[in-house]
Amino acid sequence: MPVQVSNRYLDPSVLAGISGLDLIAKTVVDGFLAGLHRSPDFGFSQEFEEYRAYTPGDDLRHVDWNVYARTERAYLKRYRGETNTAAIVLLDASASMGFGEPVRKIDYAKYLASSLVYLAHLQRDSAGLIVFNDDVSNFIRPTSRQGQLMRLLHAIDGAELGKRTNFARPFFELQQFMKRRGVTALISDFFEEPELIVKTVEPLRFRGNELILFHILDPREMEPKLADGALLVDMETGEALEATPEYARTEYREKIQAHIENLRTKAQAAGLDYFLLRTDRPLDEALREYLTIRQGRM
Amino acid sequence: MGFLSPWFLAGLAAIGLPLWLHLLRQFKRTPQPFSSLMFFERRVQSSVRHRRLRYLMLLALRLALLILLALAFANPFIMRSRASQTRRKLTLIVVDRSFSMRAVNHMERAKEEAHRLVSNLSGGFLAQVAALDSHLETLTAFETERTGLNAAIDSLTVGDETSSYGELARALRLLDRTANMQIDAHFISDMQQSSLPSKGFVDLQLEPGTTLALHSVAQSKKENWAVENVIVAPQIFDPKLSRLTSTVAGWQTPAASRQVSLILNNKVLASKTVAVPPNGRAQVEFLGFDVPYGANRGEIRLEPHDELSQDDVYPFAVERSDPRRILFLYAGGRSHEGFYYKAAMESSASAGLLVDQAPFEQGSNLDLSKFVFVVLSDPGELDKDVAARIRSYVEKGGGLLIAAGIDTARSGAVAITAAKIGGGNAAQAVGEVDNQNPALSEVGRFENVQFLRSVSVLPNRGAKVLAKFADGSPLLLEERIGEGRVLTFAGMLDSSNSDFPLHASYLPFVVQTGLYLSGADDNPSSVVVGSPATLRHSKAETTAADVVGPDGKHELSLSDATKAMTFNLSEAGFFEVQSANGRRALMAVHPDRRESDLTVIPDETLDLWRNTGGMTQVDQTASTQSLTAPWSLWRYVLLLVLAAACVESVFAARYLKQERETR
Repeated sequence: MPVQVSNRYLDPSVLAGISGLDLIAKTVVDGFLAGLHRSPDFGFSQEFEEYRAYTPGDDLRHVDWNVYARTERAYLKRYRGETNTAAIVLLDASASMGFGEPVRKIDYAKYLASSLVYLAHLQRDSAGLIVFNDDVSNFIRPTSRQGQLMRLLHAIDGAELGKRTNFARPFFELQQFMKRRGVTALISDFFEEPELIVKTVEPLRFRGNELILFHILDPREMEPKLADGALLVDMETGEALEATPEYARTEYREKIQAHIENLRTKAQAAGLDYFLLRTDRPLDEALREYLTIRQGRM
Repeated sequence: MGFLSPWFLAGLAAIGLPLWLHLLRQFKRTPQPFSSLMFFERRVQSSVRHRRLRYLMLLALRLALLILLALAFANPFIMRSRASQTRRKLTLIVVDRSFSMRAVNHMERAKEEAHRLVSNLSGGFLAQVAALDSHLETLTAFETERTGLNAAIDSLTVGDETSSYGELARALRLLDRTANMQIDAHFISDMQQSSLPSKGFVDLQLEPGTTLALHSVAQSKKENWAVENVIVAPQIFDPKLSRLTSTVAGWQTPAASRQVSLILNNKVLASKTVAVPPNGRAQVEFLGFDVPYGANRGEIRLEPHDELSQDDVYPFAVERSDPRRILFLYAGGRSHEGFYYKAAMESSASAGLLVDQAPFEQGSNLDLSKFVFVVLSDPGELDKDVAARIRSYVEKGGGLLIAAGIDTARSGAVAITAAKIGGGNAAQAVGEVDNQNPALSEVGRFENVQFLRSVSVLPNRGAKVLAKFADGSPLLLEERIGEGRVLTFAGMLDSSNSDFPLHASYLPFVVQTGLYLSGADDNPSSVVVGSPATLRHSKAETTAADVVGPDGKHELSLSDATKAMTFNLSEAGFFEVQSANGRRALMAVHPDRRESDLTVIPDETLDLWRNTGGMTQVDQTASTQSLTAPWSLWRYVLLLVLAAACVESVFAARYLKQERETR
């Protein structure tokens, strides 16, 4: 029922009232994890699956010494979903991400990014971060060392809006250190041609990396309501344009919907995950839906 | 079409405000940040033009609202034919109830005529009955039933006042302007010529919408004799010196002999036969008649009576008393200052005033109420006790004459009145004199009188200057203190600083001012109907006054007895008046003798009066077509303002809603 949903899920404006990204991420992730029957397979898992005989070169930290004491044989504990995956979050901090009310897109994106790195932390996965606009403004290499979570959250919190979006630079940087299999989450409003976006990020997929596109949009971007003779100023280019309410009600909506569909189609065709997030939608609800879909696909 | 208040059209300048709001202000747009314009297209069509069209209706409504508001204040009007206006017709029946209507059966005939007019009123009428004497008194409201009108007519009684046709015309003009009805006036009267206003037809002018029908009840026989006036001193001190002169007049009368009787307290004292010339006057004089002590009711009666018998009697009041006393106070050792004054005052036997002299020091021991007034000869700085007693005496109604000399000039202020002294004047003569004032009516112009020294008195606020020196400084001042009267003479009453006592004007000055201060002129032997009787001179005096009318009834209510300043003597007869200062007087009231002239206004003059409004009954229909009057449109303009405001509200609310939705 709608009432239960509203009680259950966290409104973005409510999240905006919580100070500290760590608390926000904990609130979001703990909330939707509690609703899942099984933890999502997002990198490493703490769930025990089997023992494997020790072979030289294995990490001694994973040897079950209790079994060794009883049997005098060394066995390693294997966990479900255990991989060597690194989780990387690419956060778009271009000027256009500053749009939105009451929650700006950049804020919503920060909540999402912090939730993702927190989720990776829970699963003892290594996590990294790239904050970019027309250049890379912050870069934290993925690692599972102690204190990584706080570093990431601090970096996310300190991300400031830049100018234009340039997908090429961050992916070039990413390709420099992304030597092993990993999961990359790209959070952006994707105000660029879908072909260019997919063409830019597609090479990452060829190396066995998994790429998820989180498309953040404000409801007023999808259904703008303009006053008569509104003079619109592009937040990235500074270009001004006079627009009529009639145009915003008709042609603009058609165009942005076509853009979304085009991006979704092209991303899926390239083997990328695409997920649209409206900033008026509860974040935990959206994440839960996405992870459920993803789990079902695996 | 025109405007009654065209200056309000300046308010049209306010239409600049909506013009600015709609055509200028809207070009200023606030830039609205948007994340990306990649899905917007630059179109050639400007939204401003589109928006202009959308707001054009709202702009037009706001302009219309302001223009109509300015027009409403400017009060537009059009000239509209009165015939086209749906004015209701009011029939006003006015009956003359002046004294002359007592003749024969004039009032009965007037009532019959009024009843006839009421019975002839057509269905759906609106009528009113009024009575006219010196003013118009409405006896009913606007009636639609005959019962009330007939009752009012039956209640009509003849009064003693004079009729004024000018007052009737003024009342009709006022009614026409305020009632907004067509007035059909019927005036029933004996049509006395003496009731016409002295200024001719200016005061008889009627409004164009008023028709006047004149109904005369005068008879062909109009001769009338009357006692026109009686001259007798209101106070008699010595019966041997009593003298009464009366005039008998006849209007449109043949030569005739008439018996004139002097009656005092219903007792005939003397009778004389006088021959009255045709349409003329004759005088008769009674000398040395005996008058009892106290107030006496007298009358001069003319016999035989004619058709208007009420004016054959002329009432008068006369009082017999011992000579009254005046207190002359002087500075110790200067008793000679009263020599000339005493001699002059007591030489006039008719004045009946005797002078007692005393130094100022004795002023505190004497009973001032025994004196009709007090004279202070150069008081200077008067002893406080004496000054307080004299001031109290004046406040209660006593009279005071102050002669200001050298001592007064040195003291810097006049005793009792506290008028400032401006200094002394050099020798000079008298300049202007107000001979209309009773105190100086027979004094003349102080011919050849030279004042060697005089005192320059600065008049108090409210004081009247009755005479001036040649340099303009006051010679004689009058002011009121409480109920009393004070005269300040800026010189001495003896010959110490002027030769005034040696000149002919001194004796009338002393006697006239004495009579004036003693109040003898306040109560003449007879006054005309409608004259006021003074009850108090100051509102601060709240002692009850009293008036007993000819029928023996008390005329004042309890409230009026303590507050009324005057009482209108509205009927003939004797009134006993006790004023607030305690003085009692018997006042005889007689009708105005202009009412005795029963000469009727010529028909030509009456026709002229009817036509002052241009609305005779014959040409009423034709004339109303050409009569126009300004017809104000402001009410209708205001309705349009209201309608425009409502529509503007609807449109503005609609646009505001759209604005909110787009935000």
